[in-house]
Amino acid sequence: MSLKLTLDGKVHEVSIVRRRPHLVLRIDGQDHELTELPAEGRGHASMAMGGHAVSFARATVADRQLLRLAGRTFEVGTVDPFSKAGAGGASQDVVRAPMPGAVISVHRRAGEAVARGEVLVTIESMKLQTGLAAPRDGILAAIHRFEGETFEKDEVIATLEPQVDEG
Amino acid sequence: MTAPLFGKILIANRGEIACRVIRTLDAMGIASVAIHHSVEARARHVRMASEAVAIDGETPVGAHLDIDAIVAAALASGADAIHPGYGFLSENARFAAAVEKAGIVFIGPDAATISLMGDKISARAFAEAQGVPVAPSVMPTGDLDDFIARAESIGFPLLIKAAAGGGGKGMSIVRSAEGLREAARIAAGEAQRYFGDGRVYAETYVERPRHIEVQVLGDGDGGAIHLFERECSVQRRFQKIIEEAPAARLDPALRDAICASAVRLAAAARYKNAGTVEYILGADGRFFFLEMNTRLQVEHPVTEMVTGIDLVRAQIEIAAGRGLPAKQGKIAVCGHAIECRICAEDPDRDFLPETGMLAHLGVPEAPWLRFENALDPGQKITADFDPMLAKLVAHGTTRAEAIDRSIAALEGLALLGVTTNIDYLARVLDNAAFRAGDLHTGFVAEQREALAPPPIPPQLRAQVLAAAALGLRDFRELALGTPEPHAAIGGWRN
Repeated sequence: MSLKLTLDGKVHEVSIVRRRPHLVLRIDGQDHELTELPAEGRGHASMAMGGHAVSFARATVADRQLLRLAGRTFEVGTVDPFSKAGAGGASQDVVRAPMPGAVISVHRRAGEAVARGEVLVTIESMKLQTGLAAPRDGILAAIHRFEGETFEKDEVIATLEPQVDEG
Repeated sequence: MTAPLFGKILIANRGEIACRVIRTLDAMGIASVAIHHSVEARARHVRMASEAVAIDGETPVGAHLDIDAIVAAALASGADAIHPGYGFLSENARFAAAVEKAGIVFIGPDAATISLMGDKISARAFAEAQGVPVAPSVMPTGDLDDFIARAESIGFPLLIKAAAGGGGKGMSIVRSAEGLREAARIAAGEAQRYFGDGRVYAETYVERPRHIEVQVLGDGDGGAIHLFERECSVQRRFQKIIEEAPAARLDPALRDAICASAVRLAAAARYKNAGTVEYILGADGRFFFLEMNTRLQVEHPVTEMVTGIDLVRAQIEIAAGRGLPAKQGKIAVCGHAIECRICAEDPDRDFLPETGMLAHLGVPEAPWLRFENALDPGQKITADFDPMLAKLVAHGTTRAEAIDRSIAALEGLALLGVTTNIDYLARVLDNAAFRAGDLHTGFVAEQREALAPPPIPPQLRAQVLAAAALGLRDFRELALGTPEPHAAIGGWRN
């Protein structure tokens, strides 16, 4: 499974090919070697990729990353709900649409137990089909959009029963 | 020449212009008083000022328009003068009068001059009386034949407008005598239908008009000089977004004629303060008076950069009775300067204002660069105030160098968390017509397609995606050295 990112209205895939001696990422089917990795977090960072030094600035707002690179500003979203690193609480109870689109098929019904990573709904956005997966193990409380229905970006597509804290 | 300067000045403004005024006050050793609404109590201009006074207001803008409260704040803080900045109360004759009445110096012209120039009709009549060209026009009469005869006499092309109109209704461009009668008849009919008033008037239509304005300084006793012109032809929603000094392409004789007419106007009005006389310039070299702004202009830094004169200092010295900063013959233009207005707006969606939060601010530095702003990282960008966030002003020895430097500075500027026009401004500067100086106020609309965002080249796209992927904690951990290659942190398996 690869990381799915949205950029410029399209979904792109990033996966790890190898880590040694240098990290190689497969981005939309093309391999890119990173000989220098960027620092973590917000602000200015630099990396070396395919022999090119690249410097950029980065900030995160809600579930989007904003990057300024080569004199242009880019907004990158994450399709996979697992990428919401550190996101906890209520955001773990809902599955939101990463982009505007339509529901192709609904795989699970309200009341059913679902496992983290399990695809609940298949959607089509920008002519690309994507599965919306459960953010954690739990009970599916509701599906809010069904086959053929359309939705906007960030709309809640499915909700899990709230998690009860034990202890 | 030894009139005492002020001890303390209240700045009746906020944002970048308040910060810019305070900078000069600091340099002159004058104490500063900031005013603010409760929503901006910790804003940059408040922190920069020697002291600050909170002004209550139902809305933040309302606080900055509260004449009585601001005059009271000046009295309470012991300020002996008020600098109004631009916008807000800067061209409000009642404010200027109230300030003077309170025994405080208003850094600007007197109320009567503000009133004269603030009214389009009186300003136009005054300009015409001083021999400043105004666009020929024919006012409506009840007699259509008489109207047509007089309209024909001022020449074509003509713009026919409803006297009571607006929004383009009843408006048409007539290029020859044959079309005039029919156009006037249709315009009168439309005007009657839409506005209940069938009177139409005609004025000279300027093709591909350029916006040229002249910076003047007047001492209030009839002495006036100019600091040459600025060109502000690149506009959207009838507002300037890129300004430069000197104008992109201007015949020297024409420049002299325009600047001389501005000085004539300022001298005749016994104008006191910095002011700007705005003109519309046609492709045929005819120029017409538009209006006079009786305050410091947003785009004043480009003039400061090419003339080396601090306009805020000049305003203060004039207000203190010290006269003009230099004789006309001593003022020269050195190089070229360009200002880009950085706005929270989406150029790809008709320049609609945007809101957000300033998550990251990275500003390039160079001796030829001024970044005028009052931004703080983490600051919310709301719809409370104007969408202009900052001004990026660059100087070069030539126009081409100023353009290249501006583009480099825009590219190095990172303002993340709210959609801005930064990338768009860089595309405008790099546009072939802009570089050639082929400017007019319809430039943004005319170059719309050429100014659309270019596709992202594959290599750049891959760089952006790699940077973004490595900005996600789970992916980063996976990429950086989880021992087993098939570890499934966060659900990815590779």
